Amino acid sequence: MRHRFSACVALTVMLLVAGSAWAHHNMSALFDFNQRFTRTGTLTKFDWRNPHIGLSVDAKSDQGQVETWWFEGPAPGFFRTRDTTKSDFENATGKTVTVEASRARDGSLSGLIRIITLPGGKVVSLCPQNC
Amino acid sequence: MKNSYRMAIVTTAAALSAVLLMAAVPALGQAPAPAKAGDTADDKAKAAAKAKRIAEQFEANARVLTVFDREGKTVAEVGERAIYNQPVFSPDRTRVAVIKTDLEAETADLWVIDVGTGKSTRITSSKSREPAQAPVWSPDGKQIAYVALRDSYLTAFRRFSNGEGAEELLYKHPGGNFLLTDWSADGRYLIYSSTDLGGGALYALPLEEKKPMELFRSKFQVLGARISPDNRFIAYRSNETGKNEIFVRSFDPAGAASPAASAGQWQVSNNEGGLGLIFWRADGTELYYMGADRGIKSVSVSTAPAFEFGTPRTLFKLPDAIPVTGTPGGLGNIARDGQRVVFVVPPAPRLQQITVVDRQGKTVRTVGEPGLYGQPALSPDGTRLAVVRNDRDRGNTDIWVFDMATGKGTPVTNDMPPDFGPMWSPDGSQVFYTSLRGNYQGIYRKAWNGTGSEELLFQYTPGAGINLTDVSPDGKFVTFSSGGVVNVVALTGTDPLTRKAIEFSREEFDTLQGRFSPDGRFLAYGSNEGDPEKVQVYVRPFDASTGAAAATGKWQVSKDGANGMLYWRADGKEMFWLHLDMESGDALVMAADISTAPAFQPGTPRLLFRLTNARQTMNGPGSISRDGQRFVFTMMNVPAGTPAK
Repeated sequence: MRHRFSACVALTVMLLVAGSAWAHHNMSALFDFNQRFTRTGTLTKFDWRNPHIGLSVDAKSDQGQVETWWFEGPAPGFFRTRDTTKSDFENATGKTVTVEASRARDGSLSGLIRIITLPGGKVVSLCPQNC
Repeated sequence: MKNSYRMAIVTTAAALSAVLLMAAVPALGQAPAPAKAGDTADDKAKAAAKAKRIAEQFEANARVLTVFDREGKTVAEVGERAIYNQPVFSPDRTRVAVIKTDLEAETADLWVIDVGTGKSTRITSSKSREPAQAPVWSPDGKQIAYVALRDSYLTAFRRFSNGEGAEELLYKHPGGNFLLTDWSADGRYLIYSSTDLGGGALYALPLEEKKPMELFRSKFQVLGARISPDNRFIAYRSNETGKNEIFVRSFDPAGAASPAASAGQWQVSNNEGGLGLIFWRADGTELYYMGADRGIKSVSVSTAPAFEFGTPRTLFKLPDAIPVTGTPGGLGNIARDGQRVVFVVPPAPRLQQITVVDRQGKTVRTVGEPGLYGQPALSPDGTRLAVVRNDRDRGNTDIWVFDMATGKGTPVTNDMPPDFGPMWSPDGSQVFYTSLRGNYQGIYRKAWNGTGSEELLFQYTPGAGINLTDVSPDGKFVTFSSGGVVNVVALTGTDPLTRKAIEFSREEFDTLQGRFSPDGRFLAYGSNEGDPEKVQVYVRPFDASTGAAAATGKWQVSKDGANGMLYWRADGKEMFWLHLDMESGDALVMAADISTAPAFQPGTPRLLFRLTNARQTMNGPGSISRDGQRFVFTMMNVPAGTPAK
């Protein structure tokens, strides 16, 4: 938290006039912020890279079938500012997480994370960026 | 199309500003957190550095709540300087509701300030990162409705404007982009809009049922909507003509879902653009908005029996200090009697002077007239300089080329979409740049003297930003940063839409600003892989057969940090970068000897020269001549503020 400003300055200075965040995409183009849903399941793997992190979660559908969901989040640097690191997700792999997300516009089993609750009960809000 | 790109301009301006603004001295309203018992010396030093940056940021961004009359004369400055946004006059214009940001606490809360006394009343007490926004007054001035982020939901509340009583939850918005814009004169409806890349929609929220009604939906933006005093019409900003204009249409919540709701639409602004700041006079005889020329416009209107309107006329032009923003009403408001305008006026911008210094940091000469410049790029032969130039009168952000000997400027682009990131073709005949067109940012090139047509080279994913940082020595590749990833695009084939970005470096950490070595065998870039707080210069082999990094080989060149201005000397034997020293605020221009045979080997970094107080004097990193003898910066030293006119 206390490092955020200097990191921000350093990156901003270097970026100068840079754009922002994957092939890189605009979140509202891919996800419908009006369609919220929540899934609780097992974090099976994650991709901790820029420009957006990704989590694979096996969760039961309303019909009881196990579905594999892919959830996107902001860049790793965003989590650093929330005192959350890659190791938090390494420790969570194989364990139960709860993800509140905005549903993908294409109807696929994917979503944009708004809030994630890690196994130890730590709640990480990705708002206001993803809200 | 210019106005639809204001946000990008603002974003860019904000980024440019942030480069130099985050920084200086404890200031009003932003006292730093005191050191705590048990803090280590390191903790204290970091806390002091943070306090300094916050203070600098405050000084650079604090605004004065300023009231103007209809002719643009300042009639009052209200309260203390603070980081204000979204001021809104109470119906009787004796008070102003305004969002005030606390940099230390990272909060943004709603306050009500008495125009006569400056006394302020806090309305919200938000948590960090849960900002309040978009205040609107009830018709009787007793209440204020606003949006605040609470537990991941953008939520509308209302509360008494004297700060008494508890806030009342009105509506929990399930999605994003939720902006209250008005409270109907009959007190029955709140109006809000929701706009994203997919377009916009306008809603009415009945305060009794509290169930939103969609008034209409458009594939274009719908922003800043305000209802006429007789509740029969609604004015708003849309970019449906290709640029932002002000429209009026019937307001009929009862028939919102019927085709009649979309019947009757009038463009009130006269094709010269309308940025927003839309307000109706309380007696329904005038409609106001802010024009693209920074003018506060008045249009005579009548709403009975039918909507009729006259020709817009300019009441006054806003001071240059007030940026042209993409958020209607973000910085100003017009009283319901049409006699007063309130704006949060930021510090006046300072013009920049293109300045050439030698390897010792001694000024050699200046080039051209002072202006608003950024991102300088020297031509391969050093005789010309491409820059981003902002025309504040027209709001255009274009690429210009200046002759280094005569100072004569030539526009490369002269269009409404903002253009950024100029880079030269290897032979110096063309300038590459980025531009946002619609939802897409692309890379273009054009002859340096502005003749001929521009050529689209590459188009990225919708809504994603591009920071073009280099063209390969053979002209076959370009490299850009986006989202912390360094990408390379091979300029193969003839269809730019089939070209793909190749991820040169996509990691957990941030990588940015790729620069090809003069022989094209390496790519230098910045990365914070060693320390999230510090970007360093790295070099990796570039594989031209794939456009990606070679499987092996990576070298760190800088040691103490790098903040841009990565350059290679033309013979490939020296590299340069700029390091912003956070403690002193100075910019250190660094260099290191490089050898590439038999293997890449960076030398020890050394200081070439120091530019003192860089955050206050430099508008971002500069450019370096290929022989490494000349350094060009856009130095901020000329006040540009002008009074209202």
